[in-house]
Amino acid sequence: MFLQNLVQKAQQLIDPSVLPGPLGNASANRPSKSQLFRHQFRLPESQNPLHEITAELTLPKSKNPGSKSPGKQGSWDKNNWDRERGTHYVGQLHLSEQFLCFSTVNTSFVSTASTSASSAFTGRTHGTGPAGNGFTLPLCAVRRVERLHTQSYMFALSITTWNGFEPASGDTSGAPAPPKLTIQLEGSRQQCERFCDGLKKGLKQGVKEVENMRTVAQDCYSEYFLYNEFDQTPTATKPDGTPRTPPDTGLGSIFKYPGNSRKLRDRSKMRLWHEYLKENGRNTTLVRQPDFHRLIRVGLPNLLRGEIWELTSGAFYLRLQKPKLYQETLAKHEGQHSVAIDEIEKDLNRSLPEYAGFQSEEGIGRLRRVLTAYSWTNTEVGYCQAMNIVVAALLIYLSEDQAFYTLSVLCDRLLPGYYSITMYGTLLDQRVFESLVEKTMPIIWEHLVKNDVQLSVVSLPWFLSLYINSMPLIFAFRVLDVFFLEGPRVLFQVGLAILRINGEELLDATDDGTFISVLKSYFARLGESAHPKSENPKYRAITNFQALMVVAFKEFDGITQHTISAERTKHKTAVLDNIESFAKRTSIRNLGPESKKLSTNDLGFLYDRFYAVLYERQQRAKVLQAEQDRRQKAARSKATEIVTGIPGNAPEMGRVGLGPSPTQMDYDAFREFLAGVAKWAVTDSPTAQSPMREEKTNGYFGGTTRSRSTSTWGSGPEPAEHEFMQRLFSRWDVDGAGALSLQNVVGGLAPIKGDRDIMSSISYFFELYDDDQDGKVDREGILRISEALLFLSRRGLSSPASSAVEVEVGPDGQPRNKDEQFLGAVSAFIRRCFEYADPDHPSHQTEKEATEDLDKFALGDDDEDAGDDLMDLKEESEEKTEDTPADDSKPSEVTSPSAADDSMLARPSENTFGQTAKPHQAATANAALDPSSPVHITLPTFRMLVLADETLEYFFDSGFANSFHLADAPLPSSTVTSQSLLGQQSQALGAPKDAMPALSPGGAGAGVVPPGKGLRGMLDNIVTDGMRVASEVRRRMDEAQKEIDKGASTRGTEDDSDDDEDEAGRDLLEGAEADAGIAGRKESGAGDRGESVLESPVSLDKGKGKAKEAVGEEKEGGEKELPMPPIESKDTMFER
Amino acid sequence: MSDSPAPSAPKPSSSVKLVLLGEAAVGKSSLVLRFVNDAFEPNKEPTIGAAFLTQKCNLPNRTIKFEIWDTAGQERFASLAPMYYRNAQSALVVYDITKASSLVKAKHWIAELQRQASPGIVIALVGNKLDLVEDEEEGEAQEGEGEGEGEEDGKVRRVSTKEGKDYADEENLLFFETSAKSGHNVNEVFTAIANAIPETSLKGPRGGAGGATQAALGSGAQDNSRVNLNANADAGPKEGCAC
Repeated sequence: MFLQNLVQKAQQLIDPSVLPGPLGNASANRPSKSQLFRHQFRLPESQNPLHEITAELTLPKSKNPGSKSPGKQGSWDKNNWDRERGTHYVGQLHLSEQFLCFSTVNTSFVSTASTSASSAFTGRTHGTGPAGNGFTLPLCAVRRVERLHTQSYMFALSITTWNGFEPASGDTSGAPAPPKLTIQLEGSRQQCERFCDGLKKGLKQGVKEVENMRTVAQDCYSEYFLYNEFDQTPTATKPDGTPRTPPDTGLGSIFKYPGNSRKLRDRSKMRLWHEYLKENGRNTTLVRQPDFHRLIRVGLPNLLRGEIWELTSGAFYLRLQKPKLYQETLAKHEGQHSVAIDEIEKDLNRSLPEYAGFQSEEGIGRLRRVLTAYSWTNTEVGYCQAMNIVVAALLIYLSEDQAFYTLSVLCDRLLPGYYSITMYGTLLDQRVFESLVEKTMPIIWEHLVKNDVQLSVVSLPWFLSLYINSMPLIFAFRVLDVFFLEGPRVLFQVGLAILRINGEELLDATDDGTFISVLKSYFARLGESAHPKSENPKYRAITNFQALMVVAFKEFDGITQHTISAERTKHKTAVLDNIESFAKRTSIRNLGPESKKLSTNDLGFLYDRFYAVLYERQQRAKVLQAEQDRRQKAARSKATEIVTGIPGNAPEMGRVGLGPSPTQMDYDAFREFLAGVAKWAVTDSPTAQSPMREEKTNGYFGGTTRSRSTSTWGSGPEPAEHEFMQRLFSRWDVDGAGALSLQNVVGGLAPIKGDRDIMSSISYFFELYDDDQDGKVDREGILRISEALLFLSRRGLSSPASSAVEVEVGPDGQPRNKDEQFLGAVSAFIRRCFEYADPDHPSHQTEKEATEDLDKFALGDDDEDAGDDLMDLKEESEEKTEDTPADDSKPSEVTSPSAADDSMLARPSENTFGQTAKPHQAATANAALDPSSPVHITLPTFRMLVLADETLEYFFDSGFANSFHLADAPLPSSTVTSQSLLGQQSQALGAPKDAMPALSPGGAGAGVVPPGKGLRGMLDNIVTDGMRVASEVRRRMDEAQKEIDKGASTRGTEDDSDDDEDEAGRDLLEGAEADAGIAGRKESGAGDRGESVLESPVSLDKGKGKAKEAVGEEKEGGEKELPMPPIESKDTMFER
Repeated sequence: MSDSPAPSAPKPSSSVKLVLLGEAAVGKSSLVLRFVNDAFEPNKEPTIGAAFLTQKCNLPNRTIKFEIWDTAGQERFASLAPMYYRNAQSALVVYDITKASSLVKAKHWIAELQRQASPGIVIALVGNKLDLVEDEEEGEAQEGEGEGEGEEDGKVRRVSTKEGKDYADEENLLFFETSAKSGHNVNEVFTAIANAIPETSLKGPRGGAGGATQAALGSGAQDNSRVNLNANADAGPKEGCAC
């Protein structure tokens, strides 16, 4: 694929060792260590695994639920701890910046543990979520850490946690204290001490978070719930006298939770949870033991459902980090509009409409705010239908705040790409699901294939709306309970189980319709008994849903997160290819009527080229960004603490199918785009920076500040900068958006490539320079047109037959170049323009047309302004004029051989470049050349002048159109590159450098002169202009000469060319002097930017240096003894 | 739901796959609901992926059983559409007469169908929500004037009957303006489609899957990557839903 190739090419340019992670294809498939770590413990993106160590967690002995003996906690004796210990678990203890995590599921993230076995460890931890027993403890929830006395050589810590509130004790009321955790570290003494050191550091930082924790914990129902013994009315007031009210537990608390709570045995579930939370901590301090998983599998009670969802999904930790994000986002964007908001509004009234809460303004309002806030925080996703249903479901159990963070976790992590603009995640997972069906239930699969039943037609809504609009709500919520804990694999397990259970019926279905209705009726029967005819009442009591859960989690237990990741990797490319070809097809079809002028191939080519440029640029920007981040990071943290991967949340790039992509091309991107389709758009001096463009007076670009950081042009040829390109850009930018869409580009190119009609081509060009669209182009415009013509032709005009610079041998044996021919034509054009131009003031011209009288007063202002501008420059230009007569005869000599026998020869010598030498005569001869008398040409004049010249006629007839290379004759990027390196190439070929000392500045200046003040001055004086043209000619001749020398095609021309070179050298010196001012200006501009460009490699080195220093420090630190308190003397490591 | 279409009468019965396409919230699902259940729900949940319904349509000489695929309208669901319109014999492309942009989208869909769907697919263009403008005008009274009127509540006709009709004629489509709310013209649309389906392209009743289906499946059965949906040879390699 074309795009992919480009992307790969771009990737090759990036040193893979500097940037592992999402940029490399291979590494993109394997998540980084820190990513796995975050997924495992559902931590925010800011967390990285800093330390890990094998440890044994000991929890206080489980109290007998029957006998509530509060004294037991007090009798706990730290000197005696290992005899008193209750349950213990062996696992890995991890430390991140803000969290202390423990899990019994094998979670080693140590890279040394497994380079070869890395797939194995991803298998264990691949975002499994907080499965297993353990805890995820924000460091701010640690109140005290003590080093325990041990009998043997052991390293044990006792951790006292809190939820930000004083726990209940004898006389004060409050929620029970969370359990004390005892952790015995198993590792070398040094490892243990290192870990403790890190922990201490983190704990100190954690102090700042305590306030957040209090706020966040207060929204948790558990805080309210545990305040009193179960079954007692909670104390009506808080200690400070404010009434104690239960926190917001979603719309359900107002509008009733779905389902019959007695049938759901909500009350007994609450009792069990009360027991569990009392003993194992709550919200921040919760410890996961086997009962936790069991309690979730049987379904969460209504009032705690939201809180547990929040905890198990990790949304809680997100909220803990940025508790105000939701409100701030809403406030920040209040009153703003977006497409997403429009889409949201359409669906508000139709999200779970059967639930009472969403028939009320309250419910609708919450839904609106949550969806809107998310669409602002993630504009790439914005809003996708199905999110409304998911959020509506969340809002039944969660407060607005909680739902917002949970939605973020869902979209960003649990369901990656599901709701993105291309929905690639959804499509990918459908493919994965199909492949799992094929593997686990081959008979059903074959049946589906045989009958051409499209499985995803049925299963796609299951995944996209998390079964919420497929199953009755109460059952969908049960699936969600497990889903938040165990991750996406649950969706697959449940889906497979549904098919398995309905297997026999499905085997009878031979078409989509029957297939769907079988499943529909099954979902309707979920609440019914799975064994209605059984003798055994226990069996009869088992519902279809319970049976489903058993099949899902027992039979399909083998479907792990690893299975899914592997399958995703396998199918990703195919899915993305499909999306891309669809997107391309659709996009091309919808480009509007103008696009019909271009062939489908061309449109396809433009599409690829357009997006390739945008992606490449985006990628470069990201690489720069990543590089910057990396540098910052290196400066900040110790080298060992730098995770190997770059932040895991960096989005994958480079594929349309992956979703949100830029669709607008700014001016710089446009230049890059042009450079890929037209040779003239490639710069002449790729190494030097293109000259800084000074502010234009007409101000089209005045508003846009272009960032110069994009000055690296990637692998493609470096684009030129020319006023013509700016004009083209603004002409194509029909919406005045300051950026081009693909449609703009196609619409802009269509009349050029498509019409193929010389008249419209001429008008097009004319209009491009008719700034005020009054049908006239003034003096400056004329010069700019000429300049543009030179600019466009400077690499030769490609006819369909040949795209290279054509060198012909004239009848007289002289090498003749089409370029020169063109130059001649242009210079003749300039002259004639002024000859035939209509002056604006009637006093200068008698045959003034009556119609133009009308315009002249309107133009008067402009002219005066122009005149004022010119005043300052006059002196300069006059100086230049004085210099030039010295050249008098030489330019014509130079050009005459080449122009000899040409049709142009018939014209007065002034037609060629001789005119440069005779500015004064010219000026006096033709009033139009007097800078003080404004003139203009009209379209008919312009047309006439063009048609009068064969070369120009050819240019407008086909040359210009053919200079854009589309699908029919693509410009291979390699060719372009070599073209762009013409100057260097010639040097490489050993061309005498000294012979053309002024070539580079003069040539570059002439070819790519930007419009600007200096240029304006120059342009206003024909003399300098002519000189510029001359230098251009010479440069071209030299190039042509080199071509010839290179080709060694015509030996006999050597003498002539030598002469030419000498003279050219002399002339160029003059030209260079005249141009020196501009060149100097240019250089200073380039110099400025040169510095800024240089900066990056330099500071890059600095960054590396720093990283090295950091390594050094770390090593030193490692050698030093860690200042650990002696074991016996001091116990408390940390206390608040 | 799965009433077996065993033809009790001697009238031949055949099933026709019909797909509904169109911008979000133009009333696709409501049209189907009106046709299938003769009901109207003001706040219909947005369709996720697609919904599937069936309804019979009795013609004088035969019975057509419509298998209706009602698709999601939101732009980003568009890439799923090929999955639903593959093998469809008919399509209903719906726009909202009070929303000009919805006709643009409808045109996109028609272009897509004409190039990518089964050849010979019968397409009907339907302007829905006629009830919203019925009070102010009858039919095609005020052409183009709707554009100027500044009311933003969408109660004003934005697409004249003529505009829709002209486009439909140009593209050779059936054309109707309907109201799913009042039921106006809804059955007519489906009947017209049923009539327009060429008899030759009809499959037999379910169970004894007709020759046409079998033929189409011939290659598909061996093809593991069937989600590529290259159902029609002429669609070429570009065809393909992205699932």
